[in-house]
Amino acid sequence: MNIFIFGLVNSVILALTASGFALAYGVSRLANFAHGALYILVGFATWLFLNRLGINYIGSILLSIIIVSIIGGGIYRLFLIRVKGMPVSEIIASLALGIAIMELFRWRGFISEAYMLPPFINGSVSIAGVMIDWQRLIIIGVGLAMMLFLWLFTHHTKVGLSFRAIAQDKHASMMSGIEPDRTAVISLAMGSALAGVAAVVILPLGNITVETGYMVLTNAIAVCIIGGLGSWAGVFAGAFLLGFAQILTAAFIGPQWQMVVVLLFIILTLICKPSGLLGKQKELEERV
Amino acid sequence: MKNKSLVSNIGIRSPLMLIIVTFLCVLNPQVSIAQPIVLGVPISRGYPDGVDAERGITLAVEEINAKGGVNVAGTKRPFKIEISDTRDLEPGVPVAEALLAVERLIIEKKANFIIGGPIRSEGALAAMDVLSKHKTVSILSAGVLSPAYHKRIADNYDKYKYCFRTTGNVVPMIEGTIRTFESIRAKKGFDKAFIMVQDVAHARAAGSAVKDGLEKKGWKIVGHEVYPTGATDFSVGLSKAKDGKAQYLIPWFDMPEVSILMKQWYDMKVPALPIGYIHALKDELTWKATDGKVAYSVVLYAKAGSVATRAIPMTEKFVPAHKKKYGVEPRSEWASTSYMVAYILKDAIERAKSLEPDLIIPALEKTDLMGTYGRIKFDPKNHQIIENGDPKETAVDMWAQWMDGKRVTVFPDKIATKGLELPPWMK
Repeated sequence: MNIFIFGLVNSVILALTASGFALAYGVSRLANFAHGALYILVGFATWLFLNRLGINYIGSILLSIIIVSIIGGGIYRLFLIRVKGMPVSEIIASLALGIAIMELFRWRGFISEAYMLPPFINGSVSIAGVMIDWQRLIIIGVGLAMMLFLWLFTHHTKVGLSFRAIAQDKHASMMSGIEPDRTAVISLAMGSALAGVAAVVILPLGNITVETGYMVLTNAIAVCIIGGLGSWAGVFAGAFLLGFAQILTAAFIGPQWQMVVVLLFIILTLICKPSGLLGKQKELEERV
Repeated sequence: MKNKSLVSNIGIRSPLMLIIVTFLCVLNPQVSIAQPIVLGVPISRGYPDGVDAERGITLAVEEINAKGGVNVAGTKRPFKIEISDTRDLEPGVPVAEALLAVERLIIEKKANFIIGGPIRSEGALAAMDVLSKHKTVSILSAGVLSPAYHKRIADNYDKYKYCFRTTGNVVPMIEGTIRTFESIRAKKGFDKAFIMVQDVAHARAAGSAVKDGLEKKGWKIVGHEVYPTGATDFSVGLSKAKDGKAQYLIPWFDMPEVSILMKQWYDMKVPALPIGYIHALKDELTWKATDGKVAYSVVLYAKAGSVATRAIPMTEKFVPAHKKKYGVEPRSEWASTSYMVAYILKDAIERAKSLEPDLIIPALEKTDLMGTYGRIKFDPKNHQIIENGDPKETAVDMWAQWMDGKRVTVFPDKIATKGLELPPWMK
């Protein structure tokens, strides 16, 4: 039971951290390597609004997410649009921006271990004999709600349908009047907002550090590679596979092997099915 | 006429002022504009440990300069701090960065002494050759717990005699840890522990040494787990500790994510008291930031001084002064050790009456000074600070427990201000 509950929590955390990255890539085919930086940006911004400006917690969260969405859209509009179509340049540009944001925080002295966000609800509860805090249960709830929201959004809204159209066939969707740059701006803004939602529910478990940004980016990439870039179902499959694999490794082999297991899964995926478990990208090339 | 009068007035006044100043300087050497003694401080400024060291050194230097500076053979000279960012605590930064920082301070900034860092053992060990090449005396006061540092000095004294260290090393830290656990067993009767360490060299070595030491004393170690740096989930280990009926958790971590471990421990109500080297819990602000979930955790400081205690009178001056200047009490032990390093140097310079390494080194070897972490003396053979648990005799470590929002010294017994408390779910 212990393994099931904490495996579920770990999997949802991975899914939440990867969903923003996957959304941006799925629609605009842009790997936003500033994803981890935007995640900690929301954490530090929320902390500043809450502790320095005295804005209430919900207000601080909403304000941070709005700001990071604007920054996410701005990253595409001001920087990535100029290197669009050159994948290596896109990665270098977004990674450089991400590093600049993260190191800016370090330079400005955001290095104390005391940067922490409060949990939404304090305390813990016993489920089948396993003590678990409310914040982790909230993470599971938010993760499941986000899955439902993304499905509804991409299947029942005009913008969501345009996302899917661009992802499936860019040229055909352009002929239908969908503007790809506008869609890309919205997808990066939404991806950044998802990173923000993940940050505000996950960061209360620990503290906000610059290094967290690098860790989140690594995890998001790992989940997307294993699950399959451009596939929503793949992201969740990858997150659950990795999440439970890490907990099982910690329980039966040793926690120091958790990262080795992640790397092993990546290598195996790249050898056996380079497009990922449920990925669409490169599938045709693989068949050929 | 008016202009002529003004010019003539200035013409008279200027030489007059010059004569007065010269006269005062001749009469009183303290008034003379003495050349400063340059202290090169190579530290990692992007990390809390580097900030702690910088704060400690700055505070001490300001205090010393406010009292006239250092008396070098009758001339009062102020200290001047030159800081260079080594970035050695940042992941992926090569050791060469730290070496460049040290060499820049010596060559460009004309540093008379190097104090503070580098903070990582790898950087500090590599810097020993640079210090030796430039014959520059150095006193490490932050990080660097590797025994290799003083072993190199002992093995090749003539080459590395310029290097001193006040941070201590893991060997006496482990001995102090075993002594502390034996003291706890005598008071509480518990003898089962679960060890959780970070996957870095010093923590792995410490975990194994503590395990061996406690097992030799008859303790039962019900688990020993190693966590990768950056780990964010400790539920499995905590469950194992609970199932194994451990009475103590012994964490040994210097990563900030360890606060997740403490919050999980509190939320899961694991009936085992955390007591160990938990670097992220040293900050005075940790209590507020975690909503008090660090309550009852016991944290090892390699040196005392972050919390005021009557047993060490200088802490009662240092801790409030730090709070007044920076708004917070000293965080890690490196604030206390770095504060003292300026006073150690002042004391040695005044006894040597010179800045020459050949005179300063024997003076430092004869240091006998009461400081913020007890009595400060160096082993003349390896330039390592001497420590054994009694602040009247040597330097001491400190174990502080979080109680009602404050860090309270609970070990060693000679500086403890309160007894160890257990959480309600362990009673």
